[in-house]
Amino acid sequence: MGLKRDVSLSVGLRYKGPSGYLTYILHRIGGLGMAIFISVHILSAFLGGKTGVYLNGIYENWAFQIFIFFCVLFHAINGLRITILDLFPKLLEHQTEAIWLEWAEFIPLFGVAAYVISSAGLGA
Amino acid sequence: MEITVKIFRYNPETDTRGNYVTYKIEGDENDRVLDVLEYIKGMRDGTLAFRRSCAHGVCGSDAMRINGRNMLACKTLVRDVGANITVEPILGLRIVNDLIVDMEPFFDNYKKMLPYFINESPLPEDGRERLQTVEDRARFDETTKCILCACCTTSCPSYWANGEYYGPAAIVTAHRFIFDSRDEAADERLQILAETDGVARCHTAYNCTEACPREIKVTKAIGEVKMAMMTGKV
Repeated sequence: MGLKRDVSLSVGLRYKGPSGYLTYILHRIGGLGMAIFISVHILSAFLGGKTGVYLNGIYENWAFQIFIFFCVLFHAINGLRITILDLFPKLLEHQTEAIWLEWAEFIPLFGVAAYVISSAGLGA
Repeated sequence: MEITVKIFRYNPETDTRGNYVTYKIEGDENDRVLDVLEYIKGMRDGTLAFRRSCAHGVCGSDAMRINGRNMLACKTLVRDVGANITVEPILGLRIVNDLIVDMEPFFDNYKKMLPYFINESPLPEDGRERLQTVEDRARFDETTKCILCACCTTSCPSYWANGEYYGPAAIVTAHRFIFDSRDEAADERLQILAETDGVARCHTAYNCTEACPREIKVTKAIGEVKMAMMTGKV
């Protein structure tokens, strides 16, 4: 008897973890976003014709490009942080500071890129 | 002050799913959440089920999710979580009754780490202690503090996704023996942790370290075990 072990996505996302948990979630969203981007790219080349043009339109859209840039940049910077901390476990004591540093790198880089992409997109 | 407590309830004899019941009680901001639960059980609803034993943060019985985060009810003051409190069972383990979960899978993983001192060498000549330096003792000092409350393991998204993962608490236990200079089974434990459900499943979400009521740097301990595994050096 008893309720079986079941942690749904919504329950998991509602857990109030610290900043590390947010980066964990965003890292997965980033990976998923890149997988979607590559899949759309391959499908567009493979199918061609009107469908190909339609799919091209999706990933050439400036809003989608901002999303993909977010995914790639966050995944890269966060991955770098994880790799460094894995190689130097003593630094894990400064995990919170490492995450702040990560945001300090990510926000300006992403902000500039998002501005440039959206300006080009809206100006076109 | 008035405290509003929303508690997850589940009666295995009558319910097919859990539900939340809200209680409004008078309390003090310096009360612990455990005091609030004791009051509700004693004065409002005797059927409320939860674990508690020492009530002083040593036995680790009363781990629960308080306002969405794993904590020990006996170490959490009302003033730290506010007058609106939601109390739920910890995640990733079967719910037996209200806030009580089945801890067997958690302890099964703990037992897999050979959580005992292994040394087949003869005793020192004086037949008494196996001595070690202060520095050697300091290497695993922190991980000796674990009280097996399961706050860390049940806050880990990798454990939520896969209950076969040994989990942070089991790895902390392994760390305590792996880095003990007197113990001789470090290689054996590292081999166990190198399995599919071992340390490779840790993706450094850091929930475990934040959830630990003993302030053990769990992610760091897991990182040290990972490094020992990679380099073969303890």
